[in-house]
Amino acid sequence: MSSADAVRDSIYRSCMYKDEMKWEKWLDLCDEDFQYSITAYSPEIRNDMIYLSGNREEMLGMMKMLPKHNTDHSPLKRHCSVYVVEFEADGSTATAVSSIVVYQTQLDGINSHVDAGESKVFLVGRYFDKFRVTDGVAKFIEREVKLDTRKLDKGSHYPI
Amino acid sequence: MAKSRNHEQWTSPPPFPQDEYVDSRIYSDQEIFEEEQEKIFKKAWIPVCHESELPEPYDFRTTTIAKEPVILTRAKDGKVRAFLNVCPHRGNMLERAPSGSFLDGSPSGNPRHITCMFHAWQFDMKGRCVYISRQEEGYQDRLKKQQMGLRELKCEVYFGGFVWVTLNDQIDMTVEEWSAGSLEVLKPSLDEEPLEVFHYHKAIIPCNYKLWHDTNCEFYHDFLHYHNRITGFNDAYFARKNTGFDNGHINVGSFEVQYDNYEGSHSREEISFPHLPPNHWYMIDMFPGVNFNLRGSSLRCDIMTPIGPNEVMIEFRGLGLKSDDAVTRRSRVDHHNSIWGPFGRNLHEDLLAVTGQGSAMNAHAERRQILHGRHENETIHDENGMRHFYEEWGRWMDRLPSNPDKPFVEPAAASSAAAG
Ligand code: FES
Ligand SMILES: [Fe+2]
Repeated sequence: MSSADAVRDSIYRSCMYKDEMKWEKWLDLCDEDFQYSITAYSPEIRNDMIYLSGNREEMLGMMKMLPKHNTDHSPLKRHCSVYVVEFEADGSTATAVSSIVVYQTQLDGINSHVDAGESKVFLVGRYFDKFRVTDGVAKFIEREVKLDTRKLDKGSHYPI
Repeated sequence: MAKSRNHEQWTSPPPFPQDEYVDSRIYSDQEIFEEEQEKIFKKAWIPVCHESELPEPYDFRTTTIAKEPVILTRAKDGKVRAFLNVCPHRGNMLERAPSGSFLDGSPSGNPRHITCMFHAWQFDMKGRCVYISRQEEGYQDRLKKQQMGLRELKCEVYFGGFVWVTLNDQIDMTVEEWSAGSLEVLKPSLDEEPLEVFHYHKAIIPCNYKLWHDTNCEFYHDFLHYHNRITGFNDAYFARKNTGFDNGHINVGSFEVQYDNYEGSHSREEISFPHLPPNHWYMIDMFPGVNFNLRGSSLRCDIMTPIGPNEVMIEFRGLGLKSDDAVTRRSRVDHHNSIWGPFGRNLHEDLLAVTGQGSAMNAHAERRQILHGRHENETIHDENGMRHFYEEWGRWMDRLPSNPDKPFVEPAAASSAAAG
């Protein structure tokens, strides 16, 4: 597998693990110094915003707390296309830009008798990722999920 | 022995006076909704944005109140003014973007002007009509620019830089008078130095706007939030007072939140808002659908725009101090959004709960009685805040919240009539 393929592989695996809500496996794809954020630009206030952020440990902590919280259990599915993978001159650091669309399939979010089973676009955005590539394995050191969507209705407890 | 109830038992009044419960029709009836737009939303002062959203001369911001499109401009004199965002010619919406600047010209108009793209009439930041295309050819001397100004609305910047607008020319009070003292508790913290909006997102939720306002007014629902139970629920928490003010506004008193009790959460002490004791948390709920919520280091403001009897748009803003350095701002954003952001711990839970209320009520449903009858010495789990709101709502609507087909009766008069 080429190094660029290793980067793509990590991106797609991250989607799969998050779809399956295997948060630890997702974070296993990330290096110790990993930083995660969900950001958006608001044309309303003409400012860049950070909707959620955390390092590896903080993200893991948040996920571990979820069972104590009331939440919308409607599953999210991430549809991702990796657009570009670029390497630094040293060959061991890479950046990637991907398109991301997240679909939500209603379960218990509204009125399950009517809505359960219905899939809708939950949000649209891009992944801006950074990787450390060692021995053919690409580990995330940064993921910024940059959203276009700012009308997020009920929102979510799940990372994107 | 406790038992379930049949139709007659379910629909008969609860063992409370009439001001301690409401009929679910006030949350679902189309006629009541239309009436609220006319009698309340077109009459009250409504905050629509923060002045930091239009910081420079020629900046604008658009919004709506009671379905009327509104535009705010900042003129060269620095003053923020409000107008209907409607062209006096053939009623086109003048500006379509949420915000921006008129410094650059639009495709059919000049710099520093509001240009209607339809037939290119132009207006200045003070709402004066300054250009009518082919004026003499078409209107000869029958129509003058002086007659074609924009419809100006009363507008004030007040309370930490919030921009308030009313559609009601006849309103006989300032925003300060309208607030009736309810803003005083946070005025020192918000007026010490300029604020800035750092967060904005919106939700459209299938529930009535009052259900969201109720959720902001009552803290009994902290049972919904693990975060609030673990960081609150001590003697100081249960001693917090709910206080009513004229015009239907309320305050929820403060206490010191124990942030460290929630794993991964931290004290806000180092970057408290001015004059706010460390980790304190005050809330102001203003009639008919506004909330200011100051938790230690960041201010949240919810503005509700009712869309239908069972639909509300809520705009969520987060604010910090304009003087923040990058590190401080980052912490404020994190404190705000870890709880109140679209991916935060509490907001999602609140929105799920009101969605559930909206789903379980409809205009033709068997009557639900929504109970507001808790008495706990006007402390945090007392429901006096909601009772205070509905008393005011009843007055403005001339409807009894517990039976909206009947005219409003002051609670005092109702209880003395019952006693008599
Ligand atoms: S409608 Fe605005 S110029 Fe004609
Ligand atoms: Fe809440």
